Amino acid sequence: MSTSAPPDGGAEGSAATTVAPGRRRITSLEVLCVLLVLALVGQTWLASVLDVPAVRTGATIFVAVCVQAIPFLVFGVLVSGAIAAFVSAEALRRVLPRRAALAVPVAGAAGVVLPNCECAAVPVARRLIQQDVPPSVALTFLLAAPAVNPIVLVATAVAFPGEPLMVLARFAGSMATALVMGWLWSRFGKGEWFATWAIRRVPTPADNRSRWGVFAETARQDLVDAGGFLVVGGLTAAVLNVVVPRSWIDTLGDQVVLGVVVMAVLAVLLALCSEADAFVAASLSALPLLPRLVFLVVGPAIDIKLFVLQAGTFGRAFALRFAPLTFVVALVCAVVVGAVVL
Amino acid sequence: MRRETQNVLLVLLGGALLKISFTGTYLRYVKPAHQWLLIIAGVVMLALATVAIARDLSTRRPPSPHPDEHHEPTPEELSVPPSSVVTGGRRPTHDHGHHHSARSAWLLVLPVLAVFLVAPPALGADSVQRAADTAPRPVAEEDGSALFPALPPDEILTLPLSEFSERAAWDSGNSLDGRAIRLTGFVVREGGAVYLARIAIGCCAADAYPVKVRLEGGDLARHPDDSWLQAVVELVPGSATRATDYVPAATVTSLHPVNEPEDPYEH
Repeated sequence: MSTSAPPDGGAEGSAATTVAPGRRRITSLEVLCVLLVLALVGQTWLASVLDVPAVRTGATIFVAVCVQAIPFLVFGVLVSGAIAAFVSAEALRRVLPRRAALAVPVAGAAGVVLPNCECAAVPVARRLIQQDVPPSVALTFLLAAPAVNPIVLVATAVAFPGEPLMVLARFAGSMATALVMGWLWSRFGKGEWFATWAIRRVPTPADNRSRWGVFAETARQDLVDAGGFLVVGGLTAAVLNVVVPRSWIDTLGDQVVLGVVVMAVLAVLLALCSEADAFVAASLSALPLLPRLVFLVVGPAIDIKLFVLQAGTFGRAFALRFAPLTFVVALVCAVVVGAVVL
Repeated sequence: MRRETQNVLLVLLGGALLKISFTGTYLRYVKPAHQWLLIIAGVVMLALATVAIARDLSTRRPPSPHPDEHHEPTPEELSVPPSSVVTGGRRPTHDHGHHHSARSAWLLVLPVLAVFLVAPPALGADSVQRAADTAPRPVAEEDGSALFPALPPDEILTLPLSEFSERAAWDSGNSLDGRAIRLTGFVVREGGAVYLARIAIGCCAADAYPVKVRLEGGDLARHPDDSWLQAVVELVPGSATRATDYVPAATVTSLHPVNEPEDPYEH
């Protein structure tokens, strides 16, 4: 059985090195080994339990969300590690305008050129804050990067072949959301909302070799932290994907107001990747364009997976304030832009 | 959670990504273009975990540096950088964040177990029934003939199910009428009707939307849901209308069972 080889080999190899010294105590490593052995032994039972159509569909979507997001998360933690190791706080201060109000648009523009998935942007934003970048600027980047980059805009153009204005509207709506949130934060935001462990400064190492060490260690730590929360998000998205029937969207028909609200909530619940949500929006052809634009603007700014990721990365106090406000701002920006452009 | 356990989990998860990308299983979850992303991500994960494990091993037994390890070549590097790594990268999360990051990392076990032990199948009949009648993407609301190039004059033409249903619904040039078309898909039953269906995805299986054609005639009773068929059909003209939620109907000329294609989705 080829599938059993990696868990056994990997786990036992380092178990030997950690259990050996010192007192006897059950470590997480032993728990993991037991867990893996149990899972292997109970494989057939597990497979039979999961052999219900709804559970099977949910499991596929769960794995799909994880598999699809992990490469982007890995890219994000590498960028985050690189910032921690190679970009000093002084260098960042030199690049950014001193006044936060001016630095916010710069961060928005940086989001355009850095193709980034929403999961990748979260660790990068935290690293920027740790390097003394004003939180308003980092949060603008967090919101802009996944929503206005070229990959997402091209995907939108492909999904809406007859509606070039949709691309423009999406860009404007998402950019407005990011800028408004940045300015709001620079005016009203409080540093104490961040958990202390989230924003503690990491000293930039002086010599080259230890820089690589910091790079690898920061990236690894971020990956472990954020990876866990990504899994929570994937699970939630999978359950909702199965439980929320898409068909009731079609019954909304031409009720624009109701459609806008429902699509905004749906964007949060479905937690789609910003590269893919345009195709889903395009397939909901029973709806007018405005609710679908709301779906595209709200989704990359805030969804259930991002909320969990933000709570884990910045602390619950932050996420409970930031996420609902983002939702409202994104909704308003999308409606205003949609009313003007579409 | 201990550092060692985190590293083991990263190795397992990286291994899981590499496994699905080399066995082709990844096509059940994401579009083909993601294969390279998965391979790179898997390799990076393995590398990060390996570097951390190697570092831990070498700091635990400092007197015997291994000359064959490229990353930790010299004794003076062993004495300086790992300590700065610990103060720089790890201790902040260790003091305050430890408690918090410790628990979330356990969840990484779930995708590992899902990939190695369960290997969820590609989406099938269940998600088609769940989606009920989602209309195909409207390519154009009014005159669609310009958007559809002429079909090649083959006697039996092979088309993706999504193109078949798009042309059936929106092509005012009626390019499908009277043509024998070969379609590949799986069987779905809904409300007494039998459909040949296929899942189309934009990026990953979470954004899947079903495409289907209602089959008429042919010996369909012996093919259960989710069995894959290749069918030669002819469109029933005018069957994909608003009343049918733009799901076309087709008469079956011949059909035979096939294996699930390597890429179960259309894009």
